[in-house]
Amino acid sequence: MDWNLIFENTLKGIIGINAVYFAIAALGLNVQFGYTGLLNFGQAGFMACGAYGLGMTAHYFDISFWWGIPIGILFSVLLGLLMGIPTLRLRADYLAIVTIASAEIIRLVVRSVKFKTYFGGSDGINGFSDSFRSLGNDFGIQEADQYGFWPFKFTGRELWTLIIGWLLVALFGFVVYKLMKSPWGRVLKAIREDEDAVKSLGKNVYSYKMQSLILGGVIGTVSGMIFALDRGSVQPDNYSRDLTFYILTALVLGGVAKVSGSIVGSMMFWGLFTFMDNFLRQVAKDPVSIGNFTIMKSTQVGQLNFILIGITLILLMVFRPQGVFGNRQEMAFDGH
Amino acid sequence: MQSSLVVRLLILATAIFSVLGFALSPAQAEDSEYALRIQVKDQGRSADGKTDNQPVPGVEVTVTDSTGLVIETGVTDSEGILIISVPSRADYTVSLNEETLPSAEKLDAKTPAVQKVLTDSFVTKTKVVTYFTGESQNVSQSGFERVAQRFSDGIRLGLILAMCSVGLSLIFGTTGLTNFAHGEMVTFGGVMAFVFNVTGLTFLGFLSFIPGIRDDGTFHIFWAAPIGIILGGGFGWALNKGIFGPLRRRGVGLVTQMVLTVGLSIALRNFFLSRFEGRTRPFADFSLQKAWDLGPINITPRDFVVSVLCLIILIVTALGLRFTRLGKATRAVSDNPDLASATGIDSEKVIRLVWILGGCLAAAGGIFRGLDEQVSFDMGGRLLFLLFAGITLGGLGSAFGALVGGFVIGILVEVSSLVVPTELKTAPALLILILVLLLRPQGILGRAQRVG
Repeated sequence: MDWNLIFENTLKGIIGINAVYFAIAALGLNVQFGYTGLLNFGQAGFMACGAYGLGMTAHYFDISFWWGIPIGILFSVLLGLLMGIPTLRLRADYLAIVTIASAEIIRLVVRSVKFKTYFGGSDGINGFSDSFRSLGNDFGIQEADQYGFWPFKFTGRELWTLIIGWLLVALFGFVVYKLMKSPWGRVLKAIREDEDAVKSLGKNVYSYKMQSLILGGVIGTVSGMIFALDRGSVQPDNYSRDLTFYILTALVLGGVAKVSGSIVGSMMFWGLFTFMDNFLRQVAKDPVSIGNFTIMKSTQVGQLNFILIGITLILLMVFRPQGVFGNRQEMAFDGH
Repeated sequence: MQSSLVVRLLILATAIFSVLGFALSPAQAEDSEYALRIQVKDQGRSADGKTDNQPVPGVEVTVTDSTGLVIETGVTDSEGILIISVPSRADYTVSLNEETLPSAEKLDAKTPAVQKVLTDSFVTKTKVVTYFTGESQNVSQSGFERVAQRFSDGIRLGLILAMCSVGLSLIFGTTGLTNFAHGEMVTFGGVMAFVFNVTGLTFLGFLSFIPGIRDDGTFHIFWAAPIGIILGGGFGWALNKGIFGPLRRRGVGLVTQMVLTVGLSIALRNFFLSRFEGRTRPFADFSLQKAWDLGPINITPRDFVVSVLCLIILIVTALGLRFTRLGKATRAVSDNPDLASATGIDSEKVIRLVWILGGCLAAAGGIFRGLDEQVSFDMGGRLLFLLFAGITLGGLGSAFGALVGGFVIGILVEVSSLVVPTELKTAPALLILILVLLLRPQGILGRAQRVG
């Protein structure tokens, strides 16, 4: 058992790029789910908008990669309208159903052979993050060099993405925090607590809900962009339903309706995930078995990890639905 | 209360894990994480009219890495499949020895004997390389024939969807819960029947004096299917007893319960994946059949029987809901739980029944879907969105609405594949979903006050 390696990887997991894009996506989901009580189960669809916005701009339209940012945001605003218009006047479940379906359809469309010329089919789009990386070189962080000290050793390329990523986390954390303290944010919270009361005060609940859905979606889009820039590629199967569910798990783990909850939750999620992954991989170097029955092989470690994620989510919902650091009172939308 | 809930959860988890875990021990020797899955298929229709894409066994295939070093040479198995594990994500060359193809078979020009696998094409840990032999099946059919064929496929899918949706809709109607793990209840049925039918439970070998049960503990599908359905009912019962019943009594909110079903879905699907593995596998019986040629449509006897059985089960369910005391009570609770309680209906009893019935029907849907297509770990998860579209179209919470809605969506999805590419045939269902919500959110058979 190489505890040093496990420890090093876990620390890297906590501050790594996965935690970054989860934190941003979870902040967006928090605006919708935590503060407004909207059940968006299609955050992966918004993230795909961002990633494909970048990828398509650089690769097919052949214009500067910076145009990908507004284009991705435009995609996600359209997606938000598509999801919101039919459902936001109805009960919460309908939004959940439509969002989960829309995200799935987006994934099917971008991976289809029919639209391969635009979206690259199941292979996705590669090689569009060069100008992003060369910007890092301009700032003095050389792509190929090693930076940092044990256990935080990164290549220049990783470090550059991480710096930008955490700056964005801080920015969006601050924006969401301020917004939710503002009168606008208090209306959202009021909608979550009692929609009818807000209506009776003459507020346009539908419009507020739509703004919240789109704002959360746009934040999710930025998360998709960071994810895509880090990989240097977009692949449709990364944006499956499960991605939304894992982000939801990270959000609930940290605590709903709290900015720190989304960020800490994502760090905890990836810390625990990386730890379990590394730990189980070392345990399962040789298949673990009782008699003839194999309990676990190295190939099953990934799945076991995801089973544990599912069970974590179940146990959280049973015993602490507001999340580890959440406030029970913020769950008022759910009959408490 | 909380500690007893933990005990129940643990018992439930152990029960499921032990039954499935023992039965589905993974059976192949994949040491490395990455693998190439090579499949050779005959897309030609042979003289006796067998359906296309028959596996071609006994073909020699060699995998070499980018430096030309041979990694492994193997021969495809009876399913025309060869899995070769490779050390890492890298570029590989896969070459098929054309001399080992059965005589009179030739590779399709689209899949040359030597194929390159690039690092980037490993989207998952297994990369599939497919070879086709024989003439492709793009025989021109008349427009009417194509519509008729799609329609008959659509009816079959619609019947299966209708069957799976009833439980989803009734659970929603009686408890208000949108169950995102319902797809996994469908998969559960398929996988359980597969365990009895193909994997076999060796310790049940002593039952081999009963016709249809073999020495190695495998059961004929005529046994495996009812067993799967009963286990599905038991699974539904256990979910209600172990998780949702106690949560309802504690007054836990619906959103919390809904997120919980998401967790349940993640855990179950990955559990199925870890024991069943990623590939799709057919049942042992009736997997290959000669299709009947009925004028414009071709249908295998298996698919015909599946459709008839679905229809019978659906009619019995509908009649039961319509005319029996319990059925009426179920619809009463689904309409208005408080009013139903006030008239002396034991709503907990009704909810229990709904979970059992929903579990049975979902499992039956999974088994029929497995016969129709094949069994895989996410067969139910992929249907989930069609199920939602169906019950929304029919009216959330209405059992008859679910029947009608699921049926319509099934036909629509299959028929729409005439216009849209097959890989996108589920997209029109989303369109229907959105249109229904815009124009008539209560659905075809729902009542207006249920919404909003």
